[in-house]
Amino acid sequence: MNHRGGWALVRSTWLSWMQHRSFFFVLAFGWMIPPLVYLLVWSTAAGSQAINGFTRGEFVAYYLVLILVNQLTYAQTNWTVGDVIREGKISQMLLYPMSPLYNTLSSEFAGKVVYMTFAVPVTAVLAVLLHPELHTTPGHVLAFIPALIFAWALRFFWGYWLALLAFWATRADALLAVQDTLVFLLAGQVAPTLLLPGALRGLANVLPFRYMVGFPVEVLTGQLNGSALWVGFAAQVGWLMIAVLLYKWMWRTGLRRYSAIGG
Amino acid sequence: MRYHLKLIGLFIRASAQQELAYRANFLISLLHSLLNFGTGLLGLLVLFEQVEAIRGWDFASTLAVLGVYLTVGAVRDLFIGPSLDALTGINGDIWAGRLDFTLMRPVDIQFWSSFRQWRLLAVFDLALGAGVLAKAIFELGAAVTASHLITFLILLGSGMITFYAVQLAFTGLMFWNPGMLFSWVFNGIFQMARYPVRLYPGGLRLALTWIVPVGVITTLPAQALTGDVPALTLVGSLFLAAALFTGASLLFRTGLRRYASASS
Repeated sequence: MNHRGGWALVRSTWLSWMQHRSFFFVLAFGWMIPPLVYLLVWSTAAGSQAINGFTRGEFVAYYLVLILVNQLTYAQTNWTVGDVIREGKISQMLLYPMSPLYNTLSSEFAGKVVYMTFAVPVTAVLAVLLHPELHTTPGHVLAFIPALIFAWALRFFWGYWLALLAFWATRADALLAVQDTLVFLLAGQVAPTLLLPGALRGLANVLPFRYMVGFPVEVLTGQLNGSALWVGFAAQVGWLMIAVLLYKWMWRTGLRRYSAIGG
Repeated sequence: MRYHLKLIGLFIRASAQQELAYRANFLISLLHSLLNFGTGLLGLLVLFEQVEAIRGWDFASTLAVLGVYLTVGAVRDLFIGPSLDALTGINGDIWAGRLDFTLMRPVDIQFWSSFRQWRLLAVFDLALGAGVLAKAIFELGAAVTASHLITFLILLGSGMITFYAVQLAFTGLMFWNPGMLFSWVFNGIFQMARYPVRLYPGGLRLALTWIVPVGVITTLPAQALTGDVPALTLVGSLFLAAALFTGASLLFRTGLRRYASASS
């Protein structure tokens, strides 16, 4: 593994991305709107009385954290992986003396820094305007860090193996759009998982999507304690292992099929 | 007119051939449409399982807003969105300088830019949107009279024109600043039209009504279904649609004169 070359790639990608800030700010703005809509709708609904234990300020806190977690874990490079395969540009990456995973990771890190320079100030302003109530303890903050890292890794590898389907179907972006919608519905964006009706909540707990966004948010806002926390972590790590295995297997078998379309 | 209709027919055929080339993607797009519709509906169900009504909007009337949102969104995805996006999106014609070839064609440039690319799958979205609207009207029941329906259709039509005009204006801005994806900014804001503007806090509500008239596009038609819309509002919205359409066309044409090609 050529880690030094990988790091150089990360740096160069980051520098070039900072030049095109406005484009990425527009992207970050677009991702922020759906959770913001639900933030406003739920906090209006909870204006006079708490809904199922959630007060207005708690809804605000939940969704503001969710906006940040969503941007931090969003694996947008997976869209480009499909394109790179479809257009045959991956041939060039395969010739580098390091894994193509580095190309993806470099845009991933570059992107996160650029998005945060937009999302953090905007969220801060929203927090000043909307008065969130965050009940968190040092223990919750401590648990939040691994939950966030696992969530990022899970979303990244899950999206990556889906994008690798492009080796077979040449165009996998519709599948990624389906995946985004499922994340939207089941990962705590439409409503905190605790508020979902019975059957949907069961589905959210079993499928991987909640562990990509909603779970770390629930950890930080102190909704989960004791065994619920441990069960959540177990499910998160379990799905992460499945995603990594799928990625490895898809990469090996896909590469054998690859025949450089276009070029 | 006949010439233009014939051209639209040709655009549709060419677009269909492009889309059918990726068959698996085509099928999954159908699934995506269904999920998108399901998410909108489930969002409402989850919300109204917890509360009876928010600021006077109950399940049935909010469902009507969602129906209008899905319907006008489907019309956008059918041709306005893909066509304008091919002009100003990433690697679009302005960016890549391909507009040079378009300018030489014997056709009105605004017509070409608004109709040339079709995403036929959106017909499915259109059916789902109409279904939601029908369900909302059924839920509202006796509250909907014939005059309500007529006002609704007029407001839906003028809302649609307003929607087109705003998108054209945002697209036209690209000529001044080609690096900025103005239409994406608008698409983001438009997502707020999913819910009645009354659910948003004061300042934002005013902005969504008067600055970016998202409220006029979805909330107002839905309002017509449940209660009487004052005649002044009705005339006002028609006037707004006409004014915005003229203004946006002017902006687009003025911007077009600034286009100076792009070298690669």
